[in-house]
Amino acid sequence: MWRKSGTWLGLMLLLSVLTGCNVTESAFARTASNAGSAFAAAATTLTYAHEDKITYAYAASSFVNFQSELSGTDQALTAQSAVDTRTLHHLLTLYKPAIQVINAPCLSGACNWRSQIEVLNRASQALLKAGNS
Amino acid sequence: MKKQWLSIALGVVTAIGGFLDAGTVATAGEAGAKFGLGLIWAILAATLAVMLLVEMVGRFTAVSKKTYADAIREDFGFRFYLLPLTSELIAESLLLAAEIGGVAIALSLFTGIPWHTLFPFVALFIWILAWRAPFDLIENGPALLGLVTLSFLAGIVALGGIPAHLLPTLWHPNFQRGSVADYLYLVAAIIGSTISPYLLYFYSSGAREERWSRRSLVLNRVTAIVGMGFGSIGSMALLVLGAIVLQPLQISSNTLGELGLAMAKPFGITGSFLFASALFATCLGAALEVLLAVSYNIAQGFGWAWGENKKPVEAARFNLVMTIFLLIAAAIGLIGIDPLQLALFASTVIALFLPISLSPFLILMNDPQYLGNKTNGRFTNIAVICILLLAFLVALVSLPLEIITGGG
Amino acid sequence: MIDPNDEIFSVRDILDSQLQTRDRRKIGRVADIEAETRADGSLKLTYLVVGPQALAGRVHPRLRAFLRFFLRDRFEHRIPLSEVTKFGPTLYLRGKAENYAVGQSERWIAEHILRWIPGNGL
Repeated sequence: MWRKSGTWLGLMLLLSVLTGCNVTESAFARTASNAGSAFAAAATTLTYAHEDKITYAYAASSFVNFQSELSGTDQALTAQSAVDTRTLHHLLTLYKPAIQVINAPCLSGACNWRSQIEVLNRASQALLKAGNS
Repeated sequence: MKKQWLSIALGVVTAIGGFLDAGTVATAGEAGAKFGLGLIWAILAATLAVMLLVEMVGRFTAVSKKTYADAIREDFGFRFYLLPLTSELIAESLLLAAEIGGVAIALSLFTGIPWHTLFPFVALFIWILAWRAPFDLIENGPALLGLVTLSFLAGIVALGGIPAHLLPTLWHPNFQRGSVADYLYLVAAIIGSTISPYLLYFYSSGAREERWSRRSLVLNRVTAIVGMGFGSIGSMALLVLGAIVLQPLQISSNTLGELGLAMAKPFGITGSFLFASALFATCLGAALEVLLAVSYNIAQGFGWAWGENKKPVEAARFNLVMTIFLLIAAAIGLIGIDPLQLALFASTVIALFLPISLSPFLILMNDPQYLGNKTNGRFTNIAVICILLLAFLVALVSLPLEIITGGG
Repeated sequence: MIDPNDEIFSVRDILDSQLQTRDRRKIGRVADIEAETRADGSLKLTYLVVGPQALAGRVHPRLRAFLRFFLRDRFEHRIPLSEVTKFGPTLYLRGKAENYAVGQSERWIAEHILRWIPGNGL
């Protein structure tokens, strides 16, 4: 029983050495990169919707999915935090307006969708950076 | 003679259109988005295994006139039969929920109505088809519609083909966008979603529904090898699209709608609808197959009357079990877990259970009592054993890792 | 006396075999076999047993007694071995489906549950 666990652990260590990186990432890194990726997808979705590459209906459905994917992320980030307080605060400051966009995306000509895309991109870049470090 | 060629053509075409499902779409998309071309080998290995397995199960039923579930109960006894039955019930209830979810998401992308609202209607529609539609319609209808997956190839061409800088990722995947644990999880999920045992239960029951005999062996072989082979093209095309379009945008393809963006880039709204149509058709076909596969398994294992070409009251227990299982899967789906994530998880669970689901099969395929002179060759046996072992080991390693680090 | 032309089937061959009636209906699978000891000490197979208690007993003997407490033998059925006209992975029975109590649940479910669902084909 112990022998098996030892072999398993040994294999994992070997794998991490061979691939030159962490075998698994911390929970914080995973939450941050998933969130960053979701915001990136949302930004692309919004862009495409206004470039006539997808219908507003398609975008609306996608945003519903982003909402459920991102719900509770701020709590998760705070609880799992593996960075200093300043960085976490910075992330959350960017997260707040971005999540507002997710909950109410501009899907008509009547609102400022360009600034929404910027908000999403800023949050995305910061979170992805935090997830990769 | 002409009729045989028509049957073969239909078999190949439906195998191509029916290859994808929520699981293979989900895995292909995430694989491309996270690791470039680094998981193509897994798709190829899994496709090889499924080609062999499907040909084997078709051959088995054509020659012995018994379905897979019949043979497990008769040859291994009731107590052993409970093992693959239990693993099937667990894995397929999750997968069926994901497939219904996939259809719901496809419809939501067209209409803008949230998938969760559409879900019960989709479940009802699937039930109506399983309740009354004849076997031919169930097997061929969605699969023919599923041919729209070939448009993914057009998408790759329209985007300028595979860029040169992606080619090295074929053998040296990029681990910046995802960890090694993610990579292994996807290997297991790819194998599990491609080799799903429900295919075997469904295919062998279908062979009985269509009264296959030794004369059908050529049809079987061509359908399995050519059909599955070409079917994997759709899966690989989706992976390549994910690699070309989504990876540079930092998108991980964690939801199904994101994957459609890869078709929207070259073809605009038409592209996004082509993707949604493909998702609709393939998930619908798969949902029916999973639902029926489990119902076939139970009815055949317990010796009840079964069949899609019978009226419901002529196979009462079979249809009752079908209805109950659909309700269970619908309940799981209504919990609200994103169908893509559910499909990934179900596929990995399937990979973990593959030795239980498939080892009786390997034994049966070498039994001359059922197969006469048509038992397996050595290459076939070794190839399948290797792939099963791989799937099991990878799933064993990656599932705990994924659960510990908070899920993929 | 055993005729050299008779095929000898072991209990294992008969267990779990499919039961099919004369009108080509599948009614169930053999869950267990009853036998009696002859005067010379050999076993003579007498009945095929079908039912949830017998099935449970195949998994573990205690389960059989446990289920009997709840089901009280209501779903256990026996078919005399003489009803079998042909042996093999499928056992072909002399009578039609309605002649046997086995598989009555099929009719019960059709008449009491499925009748409420439209399109049932009744």
